[in-house]
Amino acid sequence: MEEQFFNEMRMQIANLKESLNKQEIISDKLIREVMKMKTKDIRYTKNSTYGAAVFSIIVYPLITLTHIWSWAFALGTCLMMIFCILATYYIHRPVEKLNYMTTDLATVAKTMAKFKKQYHDWLHYVTPTLLIPWLCWACYEFAWKNAPAGTNPIWMSIPLIVGTILGGLIGYLYHRKAVNAAQSILEQIKEEEE
Amino acid sequence: MIQASNVQKLKRKMKNQQEELFAQLVREHKSTIYTVCYMFSHDEEEVNDLFQEVLINMWKGMDGFREESKFSTWIYRVALNTCLMQERKKKREVPKIPLSMNINLFDDDDANTRQTRQLHQRISKLDFVDRAIVMLWLEGMNYDEIGSVVGITTRNVATKLFRIKEQLKKM
Repeated sequence: MEEQFFNEMRMQIANLKESLNKQEIISDKLIREVMKMKTKDIRYTKNSTYGAAVFSIIVYPLITLTHIWSWAFALGTCLMMIFCILATYYIHRPVEKLNYMTTDLATVAKTMAKFKKQYHDWLHYVTPTLLIPWLCWACYEFAWKNAPAGTNPIWMSIPLIVGTILGGLIGYLYHRKAVNAAQSILEQIKEEEE
Repeated sequence: MIQASNVQKLKRKMKNQQEELFAQLVREHKSTIYTVCYMFSHDEEEVNDLFQEVLINMWKGMDGFREESKFSTWIYRVALNTCLMQERKKKREVPKIPLSMNINLFDDDDANTRQTRQLHQRISKLDFVDRAIVMLWLEGMNYDEIGSVVGITTRNVATKLFRIKEQLKKM
């Protein structure tokens, strides 16, 4: 009875593969596109962080020339961005080294879970120690120093604070989902080892 | 002495040969790749994206493929790792070329597709690692091969499979 049940499943897989074999599935155009992708870097998060950081390092001092904010703030922001670049590089390093063409599933899952945890810890510690003070400083520089006479600087800060909170929340929710997925796979692997 | 122009010609020839070999291998193993992607996806679009990403990873890793393992085992390894990593790369830059399929395994309603969908539903209820193990087992791999792809011992494969079978029977 049990054998029959699993034989049936095997048959279903075999039937699926047979019907797929009759399908064209891949066009020459697709294969050509895939071959072109070899040189393209698809590491989106890392590249966008580097991009944003380098952009800020260049742009912040330039904006200072227009007297929107002080040189101290521009320098502080640049240092923070350099620190972010180094941290991003450090966190991504084990995943970069990973060759998942030759590595088994458990090792890939462990490396990935470790990466997610480090990334999570990074956000956890960097948000209160770096991001919130920077945001307060930015509000001070942007609103308090530049508020036109008779305007309450708090009103000028609100869009900046609301935007940061909303963006941060959305990013954090996506990040939390990914961390949970990685954690669940790590637990499955641990279960195998026990 | 070999002239530079001859080296270039030779390189070009080797590259062409590698491209031809890749295209041939992909065509031969397309059903295996598609099956793995299908079992780890929720809809047609996701299968399409995953399938293309697996091909990209295979092409990237062609040089690293060692003939000590079977090509089918290597494909499973690449495909499963790609499925595992998909969460990390939500913003994928895969070529958006639709696959040439006359069937839609998520929507069609003929008897065969219904059966396939039933299998998909059963396997989808399992955890990621369990799904990988049962798929490899249903494909006829032995415990050693499953262990080497998943990265666990043969004994653990046996224990795990016993539990998965119990779980599947209860579904």
